[in-house]
Amino acid sequence: MRIGLIAMSGVRVRNPELAALGVSLPQFVSRGRVIASLPSLGLLTVAGLTPREHEVLYLEFAELPPADQELERFDLVGISSFTAQIDEAYALADRYRAIGVPVALGGLHVSLLPEEAARHADAIVVNGAEGAWPRLLQDFQAGRMQPRYEGLRARVFEEPNYVLPRFELLRGRPYNRLTVQTSRGCPLDCEFCAASLRITSSFQQKPVDKVVAEIRAAREVTSQPFFELADDNTFISKKWGKELLRALRPLGIRWFTETDISVADDEELLELLAESGCAQVLIGLESPDAGSLASLDPHNWKQRRCDDYLRAIERIQSRGVSVNGCFILGLDNHGPDIFEKVRDFVARAGLIEVQVTVQTPFPGTPLHARLKREGRLLPEPYWDRCTLFDVTYEPLHMSRAELEAGMRWLFSELYNEREFLQRKRRYMELVKQRI
Amino acid sequence: MKGEEVERLVRALLGELSRSDVSALGRDEDLVEHLGLDSLQGLSFLAAVEKRFQVRFPDELLAALRSVGALVEGIQSARKEPVA
Repeated sequence: MRIGLIAMSGVRVRNPELAALGVSLPQFVSRGRVIASLPSLGLLTVAGLTPREHEVLYLEFAELPPADQELERFDLVGISSFTAQIDEAYALADRYRAIGVPVALGGLHVSLLPEEAARHADAIVVNGAEGAWPRLLQDFQAGRMQPRYEGLRARVFEEPNYVLPRFELLRGRPYNRLTVQTSRGCPLDCEFCAASLRITSSFQQKPVDKVVAEIRAAREVTSQPFFELADDNTFISKKWGKELLRALRPLGIRWFTETDISVADDEELLELLAESGCAQVLIGLESPDAGSLASLDPHNWKQRRCDDYLRAIERIQSRGVSVNGCFILGLDNHGPDIFEKVRDFVARAGLIEVQVTVQTPFPGTPLHARLKREGRLLPEPYWDRCTLFDVTYEPLHMSRAELEAGMRWLFSELYNEREFLQRKRRYMELVKQRI
Repeated sequence: MKGEEVERLVRALLGELSRSDVSALGRDEDLVEHLGLDSLQGLSFLAAVEKRFQVRFPDELLAALRSVGALVEGIQSARKEPVA
């Protein structure tokens, strides 16, 4: 059987003014390119779950192929996409089904809105592919594929559910970044989060030896890849984190991950981060003032940590590990003064890199449910605007126009050439202190 | 220090930091592409060059310092200016 696994993974902004501004701002463009260039680890895992008797092709579409372009034929197609591109994924699925190729849809969006996805698929896979895809294939071969398969929400890294992602499908392609997942989920449970915690029943960590095996397998495909850990929050457990870092240290890799500010609490962990080749940690700071962070997560964890942000960033960056500080604009406690507050905080903190996005009520999140109850969402479906840069709801303490204009102003302040160069210089001076 | 000596030292530093054999690397060859450096590695390398040669490259020229030749010229030019 010949199976096509297709990732629809372009990144774009719908707001024309912001899109026009984006192409002229160097640092804004660079992170977008990085995200768009990452392979789909989910589909490489699906490939790993596919018995080797089948031929698997991994394809990436940044956009829907032109209508007059003939689609490559397969016996079965699996498609995965983000919310912002789900309409194009559905259109591709419809085209495949129209030429008689059965389609299975999966991924986060499909898991959160399965009834919607089912209208465009012969089968849908909800939650992780582990526990679902092998059954789907067996049923398909027996001519009795079901419309819905439930993947596992727990024990995904345990035998026999765990498989090594098939990195070799990437051979010969120009990737300089590859992804490896070390954990799934995050106990912080922030209201807006639309990541893997929505498809897991609890926080799950991959055994360290499996992580190392994946990195070794990936390095056989690309000799010196930069690794991006596809986690929501890698260092929830400091003990496990140190075990991981000690195992990464001898591999001589450079890598990036997402975590929370508590990494700065542990001196030994910070030393190990630097020694193991960590180039950057992305941290969801979300807002520079504690008042804005109330009720963002059920335990107000981020609000309680906010006053320590500056000191923590300094502690991390002094190890030569840069911090990519993430801020969300348009939280319910944000007024029109938030834009200047973020700009000033970034300057004070000396952040090497900054990621600013607008609050986005992704379907299936508590944020989406709350804003829907409050009648503040744009008419649904607005999925193509879930880009993290387009406003899809009515903010509480400013108008949508004020939020959009303020975001453009802040982007111009943070991502211009002068700021870009200053951040580069800051990073170089940090490195010099360490060598 | 003459240009040839600067180039020899730049190549030695590059080889040491990238753990690669850079002896066959062309003078104008793009280091980022050839060695597969990410942006932070590129900056780390420039920082190491600045420290080793006791120079400071103008910030606006950092992006252009992508070959052995450009680095040698950048070092020689920066040496004529006082180190910040």
